[in-house]
Amino acid sequence: MGSERYSFSLTTFSPTGKLVQIEYALSAVTAGAASVGIKATNGVVLATEKKQKSILNDEHSTFKVEPITQHIGMVYSGLGPDYRLLVKRARKIAQKYEVRYGEPIPTTQLVQKVAYIMQEYTQSGGVRPFGVSLLICGWDNDRGYLFQSDPSGAYYAWKATAMGKNSVNGKTFLEKKYSETVELEDAVHTAILTLKEGFEGQMTQDNIEIGICDAKGFRRLTPGQVNDYLANIS
Amino acid sequence: MMSHEPEPSPTTCGAPLLQRGFDPYRDNAGTLVGIAGEDFAVIGSDLRLSLGFSIFSRDQSKLFKLTDRAVLGSSGCWADCVSLNKFLEIRLKTYGFEHNQPMSTKAIAQCCSTMLYSRRFFPYFAWNILAGIDEDGKGAIYSYDPVGNFERVPYQAAGNSGPQVLPFLDSIVGKKNQSNPDKAPITKERAINLIKDIFISAAERDITVGDGTHIIVITKDGLEEIRLDLRKD
Amino acid sequence: MSILAYNGGIVIAMKGDGCVAIATDRRLGVEGRTVSIDFERVFEMGPRLFVGLPGLATDTITVSQKLRFDMNLYELQENRQMTPKTFATLLSGTLYEKRFGPYFIEPVVAGMDPKTNEPYVACMDLIGSTTETVDFVVSGTAEEEAYGMCETLWRPGMKPDELFECISQCVLNAMDRDAISGWGVKVHVMEKDKVTTRYLKTRMD
Repeated sequence: MGSERYSFSLTTFSPTGKLVQIEYALSAVTAGAASVGIKATNGVVLATEKKQKSILNDEHSTFKVEPITQHIGMVYSGLGPDYRLLVKRARKIAQKYEVRYGEPIPTTQLVQKVAYIMQEYTQSGGVRPFGVSLLICGWDNDRGYLFQSDPSGAYYAWKATAMGKNSVNGKTFLEKKYSETVELEDAVHTAILTLKEGFEGQMTQDNIEIGICDAKGFRRLTPGQVNDYLANIS
Repeated sequence: MMSHEPEPSPTTCGAPLLQRGFDPYRDNAGTLVGIAGEDFAVIGSDLRLSLGFSIFSRDQSKLFKLTDRAVLGSSGCWADCVSLNKFLEIRLKTYGFEHNQPMSTKAIAQCCSTMLYSRRFFPYFAWNILAGIDEDGKGAIYSYDPVGNFERVPYQAAGNSGPQVLPFLDSIVGKKNQSNPDKAPITKERAINLIKDIFISAAERDITVGDGTHIIVITKDGLEEIRLDLRKD
Repeated sequence: MSILAYNGGIVIAMKGDGCVAIATDRRLGVEGRTVSIDFERVFEMGPRLFVGLPGLATDTITVSQKLRFDMNLYELQENRQMTPKTFATLLSGTLYEKRFGPYFIEPVVAGMDPKTNEPYVACMDLIGSTTETVDFVVSGTAEEEAYGMCETLWRPGMKPDELFECISQCVLNAMDRDAISGWGVKVHVMEKDKVTTRYLKTRMD
């Protein structure tokens, strides 16, 4: 039984003390499509590039920005299939919490638990690390949250950040543009502008995806709404 | 070895034969509260007659006026209550003819007990409270169990809401668990209002209490009746 | 006789104006035989959170320990206090986990929200069906008696002192009419900045 399956961890230390598997996973993230997250005073925004390989793809039937609970959503840079597994796990964690305690899971708790799973995949036998970094946004305790969770299981709280392709430029751009007092509407604009840095070709409602989270909860913007924002920029 | 096959049960056309035991008792609920004062006694009952979740009557007092100085409250199996009071009435009439005077409350109390005990092995399913004025003009409450054990008490609650009402009477009328209780005897007005309040409260928690209450105040001047509506749900 | 009435005991919780009280008797018996008169069936689960677990004594202890375990984990993990409502949900789930072999306790939860100071009382049956009320909850072998007392004595907007007086009268007179409850009373009154615990002298029979 199990003889065909490796029972030891594939992620092992290199002689220099690095876990190269994790570094490879991070390379997959850096090579992946860009995503941006910004925390505003009255909400949080997530935005991501969603370029299709062929014009034959139906862009609005699959999504990169996904709701996890009423008030938490996430997006990724890296490998799509790995992301979908984490979305499924995150939703299940959130539901379990709500059944047990009768209240929605706090964003911090969800992030911790998802990061825990990602860490498990760096130490368990027969598995490889996830090839994604997540941006998780949420609204509870009357404030917004923005977290990044990496393949290593490390997680960070951000005011604003960028991941994936051109993330270094994206972050530099955000450092210049970010303000503590920014409101959600402006944050959405900034997020789009950040994506635009290093965006190849024309940015349209069909090749980016935006999600926002505030006191009303988390929701994905419709292509029409995205279009309105794009029209305001140019 | 002998085989121990289960014995076939008696059947009718293949269906198992139902054997029913004789179950003569019905609990029609009902709640009684009695309070004795210096020169009066008050007794109250609810007006709802029920069986399980069905309501048979919304205007059935459980109080039986025996003489002009004694009232018996009966609750439990209503058929038994009615039967008991019918026989009791006969005894009271006979006594009146033989003695040329109505039976004293004390004698009624003993008579009730004897009648209940006479059915020791097929008891009336009835919880009784007797309220009246004794030979000295003092208020009296007698409390019974279904087989005739009785006791003269200052106050009593019986029937379905008995367990809920009794500790309240202990506290307010009996002054139990109070460090410096006011020892003044309870007034008639206070007793009446208390019984009203008790039924209003009981109707909140006990589904068998509702519709209304019938209260009888017994003084040396005779019986005074009071009726009060309760919630009807 | 029901297993729930094997050891006897009663717990009442009541809401007041900016305060909550929970009271219990202290007897532990084996049917009619009194074994202990300082038994604890109400537990302090947080600064202003109490749970009463009347019923089978062994389950009272087991469940209190399990709740303590789960709560410690929660508070370490989330670095915040559990609200009474969350606690009640957790307890309800704990009981329902044993749906077909239940803990024989019918809990009472009393507390105040750590942030809003909102009073909270709830009771549940032995498999976790919860009832939250605006006035009072009772549970235990003197339940009927306690309902009668609370229904007549409770009124809205009681201050801590009145609430103490009210709940004390309720538990005292209720348990005096129950043969397997009594032998001392413990009352906790929670306010937004303090909890007062008092022991009442009672008849010992």
